[in-house]
Amino acid sequence: MIQVLAFYLFATLAILSAVLVIMSRNPVHSVLWLILAFFNAAGLMVLAGAEFIAMLLVIVYVGAVAVLFLFVVMMLDIDFAELRAGFVRNFPLGMLIALVLLAELVFGIGAWRAGSIDLAPAGATEAAPMAASNIAAIGQVLYGKYLFLFESAGIILLVAMVGAIVLTHRDRKDTRPQNISKQNRRRPQDATVNMRPEIGEGVQL
Amino acid sequence: MIGLEHYIVVGTVLFVLGVLGIFLNRKNVIVILMAIELILLAVNINLVAFSSFLHDLTGQIFAMFVLTVAAGEAAIGLAILVIYFRGRGTIAVDSVDRLKG
Amino acid sequence: MEFAQSLRLILPEEILSIGGLVLLLAAAWLGDKASRAISIASVALLVAAAAVTVPTLSGGAMGPDTQAFLGQFRADAFAAYAKLLIYVSGAAALMIAPRFFEQFRAMRAEYPVLLVFAVLGTGIMVSAGDLMTLYIGLEMNSLAAYVLASFLRVDNRSAEAGLKYFVLGALASGILLYGMSLTYGFTGTTSFAGIHAALTGQLSTGALFGVILVLAGLAFKISAVPFHMWTPDVYEGAPTPVTMFFSTAPKVAAIALTMRVALEAFGNQADAWRQVVVFAALASIVVGALGAIGQSNIKRLLAYSSINNVGFILVGLATATQAGASAMLVYLAIYVMMSIGSFVAVLMLRDAESNQIESIASMAGLSRTRPLLGWCLLVMMLSLAGIPPLFGFWGKLVVFRAAVDADMIALATLAIVGSVISAYYYLMVCKTMFFDEPADQVKGASDWAHWALLLIATLFNSPLGYLLTGWFDNLAGKASAALFLAA
Repeated sequence: MIQVLAFYLFATLAILSAVLVIMSRNPVHSVLWLILAFFNAAGLMVLAGAEFIAMLLVIVYVGAVAVLFLFVVMMLDIDFAELRAGFVRNFPLGMLIALVLLAELVFGIGAWRAGSIDLAPAGATEAAPMAASNIAAIGQVLYGKYLFLFESAGIILLVAMVGAIVLTHRDRKDTRPQNISKQNRRRPQDATVNMRPEIGEGVQL
Repeated sequence: MIGLEHYIVVGTVLFVLGVLGIFLNRKNVIVILMAIELILLAVNINLVAFSSFLHDLTGQIFAMFVLTVAAGEAAIGLAILVIYFRGRGTIAVDSVDRLKG
Repeated sequence: MEFAQSLRLILPEEILSIGGLVLLLAAAWLGDKASRAISIASVALLVAAAAVTVPTLSGGAMGPDTQAFLGQFRADAFAAYAKLLIYVSGAAALMIAPRFFEQFRAMRAEYPVLLVFAVLGTGIMVSAGDLMTLYIGLEMNSLAAYVLASFLRVDNRSAEAGLKYFVLGALASGILLYGMSLTYGFTGTTSFAGIHAALTGQLSTGALFGVILVLAGLAFKISAVPFHMWTPDVYEGAPTPVTMFFSTAPKVAAIALTMRVALEAFGNQADAWRQVVVFAALASIVVGALGAIGQSNIKRLLAYSSINNVGFILVGLATATQAGASAMLVYLAIYVMMSIGSFVAVLMLRDAESNQIESIASMAGLSRTRPLLGWCLLVMMLSLAGIPPLFGFWGKLVVFRAAVDADMIALATLAIVGSVISAYYYLMVCKTMFFDEPADQVKGASDWAHWALLLIATLFNSPLGYLLTGWFDNLAGKASAALFLAA
């Protein structure tokens, strides 16, 4: 029974926050709602017995993509005064989302301990004997049957990384980067000279 | 009891919201990028639900690849947005008009 | 044993990926000064990949021996045919790039590397035997393409083209993925062979939605109407070598992919998708022809021309026969050469300060100021229009013949009418070049690489191209046989 309640909680909040993502006028709020939407979707996946994907969703999205979004929003938003004022205004919203997440975590763990929902129709073939856990089973398939796709996905990430750097990297002429090998090659005899100037003459540099 | 249909309905609603977000949102490219993420989320929910329904791990593997590519796509999209902003000083879609069409 | 066999079958992909990684290291180490050298090395990589692909095509490889990684990857003659076209386009895009980017001082060593990875992605697309392979290949190509479109950072139009391409491309991927998730759910498998076996008889509503959404997503990628609206903007805004690449390699790959998905995976449901394809074909021909009229920018005009050509190619798909598939492949080869030729010619239009000229009005009187360039462009335009003595006519002829053989006479008739309409704007460009008062704006010398590519493409599209018809029929026949054996 607790799974049914949890499903409706997660589903409602996921849809509600998705609506707010596209309706919200402030992009910072949109990112926060996006995080909430992903969190609830992860809850739905836990209920369906896909713990590993759910955790990935939280780690990759909330940990990386959402932060990237926030970073760009902050970087592009030219109204800095408004941004500084943003902390106070965003505080209640942030607290609200934090509280909802906390309550959901407690609820979700309760639902998970009660067992995942089996979506298969009654009388369907019994689940193939899987390895000990969802993660182990995924690992077996991913590094065996789908090795080619796994490696190709690695190249996709490389392309994304190279592309993002190529597009945004600027050679700035006003910076003076450190050149360690040049520093290490430098010897005292190259850098210093001993002089014995006559009194009253000074040195030529 | 919760069945496959419940999950598919959630997936469909999220998908429609994502598509709607792209077409409704004319203020800000960054929200469009978030709407794209919503579409991919909807796909992932679908895949996981079908995977659970079919007792077949393929769907979850597929969802993993979608997740991987989505992360890369977000990085590229934001990079393009940054250089667009540098050239223009704004990211409002209304001003995407140098190219007519 | 199975694994070693698989590794042998993906040899072209191994060459490209390992070579690409090495070149990436070289690019990081040597910096932008080495970009010309890295471009040459990339062309060499594509030649090597093509060399190991040729035996697959000439041997007409097909059947279970060509399946790598449990059927996720197919190295059959069909994939080989498409890959060879892709490698030619990629090599052309590499050869013309340095000269173009150097005039903006924007040549970066990463351009050839990203292009190699884009080619690798398109190669995986055409070899896909599984929805996941399809998606991975498509996205590898797309992510590299988004970056290439916005590569010219000094030009605001380039970033804007990249942004448009990205948003609409990502939307298309999303639609495609949603369709794939439904297809997976309702057939229980992601492999094309499994989907083919599962989709028999009456389609359930969910599966029908899956089929339609997958085809809609693919239509986006091949810029077929009604999902074409991004094409003119992106083609105009992207740097010209990149535009040439977009109009060839990813398009060949997406069309080949559409053929595999429609004819193999959804092969049992041809009646369900045929109406959609017929509509997309006719709409693309008409929109491509009408949209091009009144364009003042030659790159926009070529974008509409590419939409128009996709329409003719889809006529072959609508037949859902092996002859239709073979005709599509012949048309694709000719289309690739026409695209390469016309974009290289556009690239050679420079004014005295060696800025690119893109307006059609500035090309007035080109036949008198730059006769050779003018005549080459004339051959391209007339070949695109499908005027008989030129080779472009042959492509249209085989497609129409396949449609008539499949008893789709109405479709063939309408397509011929569309082809007559589209001839109008090509002829307008020719009139501007040959009969208007010389604007005398086109100056500036060109690279030998440009001339070489342009002359090869011109010879190919001239009546001399008919010497190749037997050869092409043979190769396209082998490729389509491999496609239909699996179906």
